[in-house]
Amino acid sequence: METQAISPEQAADALKQAAAAEKRSAQAYRYQRFAPYLFLWGVIWVIGCGATDLAPHWSGWIWLGLILGALAVSIAVGRGAEPSRSKSNWRIALSFTTIWAFIASTYAVMAPVSRMQQGAFPPLVVAFFYILLGLLWTGPRLIIAGLAVGVLTLGGFFYLPQHFLLWEGFVGGGALILAGMWFRRV
Amino acid sequence: MVEIDAVIHQPVRLKIMAALKALPSHEQIEFVRLRKLVDATEGNLGAHIQTLEQAGYIAVEKDFADNKPRTRVKLTKQGRRAFEDYVAYLKDLIAGPEG
Repeated sequence: METQAISPEQAADALKQAAAAEKRSAQAYRYQRFAPYLFLWGVIWVIGCGATDLAPHWSGWIWLGLILGALAVSIAVGRGAEPSRSKSNWRIALSFTTIWAFIASTYAVMAPVSRMQQGAFPPLVVAFFYILLGLLWTGPRLIIAGLAVGVLTLGGFFYLPQHFLLWEGFVGGGALILAGMWFRRV
Repeated sequence: MVEIDAVIHQPVRLKIMAALKALPSHEQIEFVRLRKLVDATEGNLGAHIQTLEQAGYIAVEKDFADNKPRTRVKLTKQGRRAFEDYVAYLKDLIAGPEG
């Protein structure tokens, strides 16, 4: 092994450089792993909100089909992943399943009185989840994505009620798709 | 003064090793992505990757993805141990004789 002598000051600087590089790499890796799910749910959002706006009486079936489809895709991604990624892919898929189970349970207990409430609640839950996850683990990009989804949802709910679903679909869903693309970058 | 592994103790190589250490074991990272993470030019990164590979610290895999050449890098077990030893040396050196 080739060696050289260094001072404690140089050692401290090297340790600092290493820690910074390690942190940046870990964060970029977490963002990259999350990106496909942001993209997937953004597409689901665009399709779901658009279809619901066109055929509101079918909204229950539309969203059930889309959510089940998205969960199936998430599970398929987890199952097909390399062994080093499979476990965390399953965790991510189960996390999204848990969110939707929470939303369904809340609807059962506190039934929304309007279609707008029904449409606003899931993105607010997702926004909350993203902010929390960003604070606890993933990093600031997820906090920003969560804040964007939350603010856009509340803005549409209060200021664009007549076009809320379309707003939510294209702006909210679009925000998730853009966030997914952003998360893939270093 | 303490002798330290000069293969790792070079600014760009140190960042490469630290960046790879942050990933789960067996996880690879693409060359393009690693270049952005460590802020190096393509030629510079290539030279340092070669040095680390010759030392047995990293493994390089080259293949094709979407008909484009792709280079992926991961830390070897030897590299992981060497980096951990390197960090331990740094911490001992900072702590001094009393630590």
